[in-house]
Amino acid sequence: MTLTQTIFSVTMLAQTVRMAVPYACAALGGVWSERSGVVNIALEGTLLVSGLAAVAAHVASGSAAVGAFAAIVAGALFALVHAVLVARERVDAIVSGIALNLVAAGGTRFVLRSLYDSSSNSPSVAGFAVHVGAHASPAMALLLRTLTDPLTILTVVAAAASFFVLYRTRFGLRARACGEDPQAAAIAGVPVAPVRILAVTIGGMVCGLGGAALAFDQHQFQSGMSGGRGFIALAAVILSGWRPARAVLACVAFAALDALQIVLQDQSRVPREVIEMFPYVATLLSLVVIGLTRGAGRPPAGLGKHAESA
Amino acid sequence: MLRLVELEKRFGSLLAVQSASLEVLPGRVHAVVGENGAGKSTLLKMAAGILTPDRGEVRIDRQHMTPHTPAEAIRRGIGMVQQHFALIEPFTALENVVLGVEPTKKGVLDLAAARAKVQAIAAELGTVLPLDAKVESLGVGDRQRLEIARALYRDARVLILDEPTAVLTHGEAEGLYKTLRKLAAGGRAVVVVTHKLGEVVDFADEVSVMRRGKVMMASRELRKGPGRDEELREITEAIMGGGVQELVRRDARQLGGTAIVMSDVHYGRALRGLSFEVKAGEIVGIAGVDGNGQREIVEVLSGLTTPEAGRVAVVERALLGKKRIPAVAVVHEDRQREGLVLDADVRDNALLGEHWRYASWGILSLPAMSRDARERLDRAQAPFGLDTVTRTLSGGNQQKIVIARAIAKIAMGASALVLAHPTRGVDLGASRAIHQEVLAAAAKQVAVLVISSDLAELRAVCDRILVLSRGRIVEDCAPTATDQHIGRAMLSAGAP
Amino acid sequence: MNGDRRASILATVAGLAAAWVAFDLLVFFYGESPRRLFVLLFEGTWGTPYGAGQVLFKATPLLFTGVAVDLALRAGLFNIGAEGQLAVGGLAAGIVGALLPPWVPGPLAVVIVLIAAAAAGGAWAFIPAVLRARFRAHEVISTIMMNRIADAAIGLVLGLGFALKGTVRTLDLASGARVPRLERFLPALRGSAVSLSLLAAVVLALVVGWSYRGTRWGREVSLVGMNPVACAAERIPVRSRIAQAMILSGALCGLVSSATVLGYKGYFEQGLGAGAGFGGLAVALLGRGSGVGLVLAALLFGTMQQGGLAINAYVPMELMDVIQGVVITAVALADARVRAAVVRSSRGAFA
Repeated sequence: MTLTQTIFSVTMLAQTVRMAVPYACAALGGVWSERSGVVNIALEGTLLVSGLAAVAAHVASGSAAVGAFAAIVAGALFALVHAVLVARERVDAIVSGIALNLVAAGGTRFVLRSLYDSSSNSPSVAGFAVHVGAHASPAMALLLRTLTDPLTILTVVAAAASFFVLYRTRFGLRARACGEDPQAAAIAGVPVAPVRILAVTIGGMVCGLGGAALAFDQHQFQSGMSGGRGFIALAAVILSGWRPARAVLACVAFAALDALQIVLQDQSRVPREVIEMFPYVATLLSLVVIGLTRGAGRPPAGLGKHAESA
Repeated sequence: MLRLVELEKRFGSLLAVQSASLEVLPGRVHAVVGENGAGKSTLLKMAAGILTPDRGEVRIDRQHMTPHTPAEAIRRGIGMVQQHFALIEPFTALENVVLGVEPTKKGVLDLAAARAKVQAIAAELGTVLPLDAKVESLGVGDRQRLEIARALYRDARVLILDEPTAVLTHGEAEGLYKTLRKLAAGGRAVVVVTHKLGEVVDFADEVSVMRRGKVMMASRELRKGPGRDEELREITEAIMGGGVQELVRRDARQLGGTAIVMSDVHYGRALRGLSFEVKAGEIVGIAGVDGNGQREIVEVLSGLTTPEAGRVAVVERALLGKKRIPAVAVVHEDRQREGLVLDADVRDNALLGEHWRYASWGILSLPAMSRDARERLDRAQAPFGLDTVTRTLSGGNQQKIVIARAIAKIAMGASALVLAHPTRGVDLGASRAIHQEVLAAAAKQVAVLVISSDLAELRAVCDRILVLSRGRIVEDCAPTATDQHIGRAMLSAGAP
Repeated sequence: MNGDRRASILATVAGLAAAWVAFDLLVFFYGESPRRLFVLLFEGTWGTPYGAGQVLFKATPLLFTGVAVDLALRAGLFNIGAEGQLAVGGLAAGIVGALLPPWVPGPLAVVIVLIAAAAAGGAWAFIPAVLRARFRAHEVISTIMMNRIADAAIGLVLGLGFALKGTVRTLDLASGARVPRLERFLPALRGSAVSLSLLAAVVLALVVGWSYRGTRWGREVSLVGMNPVACAAERIPVRSRIAQAMILSGALCGLVSSATVLGYKGYFEQGLGAGAGFGGLAVALLGRGSGVGLVLAALLFGTMQQGGLAINAYVPMELMDVIQGVVITAVALADARVRAAVVRSSRGAFA
């Protein structure tokens, strides 16, 4: 197969969709948080915590659905901590994010060892078993499996719902107002801190979905398995101009690079390490592009700001 | 209707409002007047739930307002139009009006329901509001009407406006007051906070005067007809604190050659063919509605931005061997953002940007720094310690540091002094000291440019007043020109 | 300033208290006795000269990175890239050290190797610095990406022939290019890997801490960090100060190799020093404000790391990572509360 054939293959498409799900969830989480004005670098930790929660609940209950639910709850709780620290207590959002990421990285390994006596990975889980016709080629089967996976479907639903709620509902209007100008929102009678806390928590739920997808995809939890995805998703958010639909699109682009990395690994003479750098270098380049074009959009003007309270 | 009882608010060492009581009645326009920094805004922000009082209570219809939040104040019928509009820029006008009290249908925003009501309110105000335009594209007049409409949309029975005419031209201001009268006639209580007494006497029913945080005169009925001049003098005295405002002393100055030249300067949409000159020893004021290019003039003169076209020149005086001192000493508009490092100590701020002068081999001489900083502060009658964190100082004291730094640059050889809103948010005493410094600088043959939205200030210190509108000078008049004359000039080229 | 210092001590005490509580709770829920484990933790660290030496050994890289992260923080930057910068610095030290001919005298060899390491660390920070100065790219994202790229790049470079065959480590350093261990001067520390690098780190922390008040560069960096707009208005070269601070921060991270490559292993291997970068964040956030504070914070986290090993048989040592995060959170929270109180009582009326 030539390189072009590889890039436009079904395998590539299937891998792209598969890799895009966690990115997209994390990015939607980022959009929710940042549109309400709370910088969120804790997405990375949210992915880890919810991934472990998904697997642990799956192992304990034997049900993937319970696992996914646990991931959403864990994501929400983790984000809630960040939200309360930042929106209510006015802790620096970056500091809180760093600290929570440390807690998540260490905490997941601690729990892994506590539960499964291994600091690197959990026992394997089935995830959602989706049956596809036996006649399909392996690539087609992967594509069908991915597309019909409940987590993929939920992600699409979450994206659509995020768009709808942010732009068409009272809560969405208020959340965006808090993100643009918390002082003006407060004067208009919007309770800024509670609105932000709720928005960030909703974002945590969506991001938690991504954690479950990440873990179920590997059929186990591995320590550090988020692998910088939370940060890449954040870059996608910035690249999108803080808009949910475009953020998902940007995530698909990053996922395609990941997929390329997978499909090229066997057949390329390029060293493995160079291919491994792809997504990260691409993220850096996207930051340059954002800088050059002044971004696809302006950040929410109230990002990181608080309403004056006295 | 609305009663403020013994309200008190302290900011650090400053007692901004001191046991202030006020009553506002329906059907009346109530003017709260006083100098900049007298505590008027602080008092009314407490009434609107935006600031929490340290003591005292806000009563609406004889009931204590609790919890003390903006949402509760709105619920009880108090609406406030801020001096700096509190609108969400990228939202549409309609979205801004409904924010906080959004109508919904099955959980979905129902803007259509709000539209008719807002349009009716606009009609009552005698205007049409561009409801689907984003606020960032609206001019100040529209924004203000939008704020008023927003308050009325929430069924405000008490409408408070903080310095509503600061950003309006003379004609617009008159229109506004007519609208306010109409609202009062409809049974609402209207409160106008302003430092311009002359403007409100024709429109207000009663006046309260604040000075240094205290209510000096409460709800004085304004007489129309005989005795009115006498009454105005009394009110003025209450504002000034007894005795008429002592004029800044000025000596006759010898004007030198041209020191600042801006000739046909263009910069984006802000400056469009700006031309003026300032001679050495001359004090020139720039009047105009905020946002007509004031900020850009300062940036161009201080070298922070380069204009796209035109000539900018500042004549350099013989420098005292320190070639790195810029020819223009600048006092920026926003001292907390552009003028000071608030978390640093007073010493660093008094010498900001000059640390290189105190370094040998990169190592700073603390004694030399302290000596010079002390000298500057003493001159500015700023007696606080050099290790004081700047954030803890009052606005006036912070401004003293900024001014002292600029004045010191003159001693080092700067030939021009540019001040943007030098006394904004500064108390009377400090304002006077700042004006004295400006005159002293001019006496040393420095070319001085004062940019201010306060005409009284410009009149007090300037030799000439230039009127700026849409990025160009549209009028060059004497400091004795009337408000109406200057106002018409602002209007002549159209408001932005 | 006095009130500031008191507030910051208060916040630190609150952080330590939270750490204590977190430790007790986690150990308790794990099913062990907090008291017993605390005794074990103490005995394994400060209880013996060897334990103490190991604490100091673990604290050394943390102190370098802590000073480095603190420096960037002064300029208003979060250098989350310390992890990658110290790795690249270590690689450079390993390669240059191995290439040095054996006749180069010891001290000179050490200096050359450390210059290479600092240069490599600085270069790795240069990219985020430029991205930030020229393209306004947020350094938190770019430095994290640089960490990931460093991992891959190091594997790549080692694969180019700098590695010992079949391993992921460099060849041994030239014999002169070693930093002597402290056990040579204090026999009681026998067996622990703490080296003279510790003293260098302490001196560095104190000198750099002094420079924020005592030098023009340091003071301008801190002023820029507090309000870049006002500094630009007064013609302090804001963008270059920020970029310089970031690059210097990376260079300091490169110096971690003096403890790991030169003081301990004698070669560089993939993963050597990993974790010190994030640990440095914790050290900087806890010890901010003074050189002494950084030293104490590094000792604390060094103790926690070594203590983690000491109790690992009973409770997973990852517990200590959690507590590190808890300490940062608690300190930040206490700080925010104190700051809010200060602002409430002192905010100007005309904000």
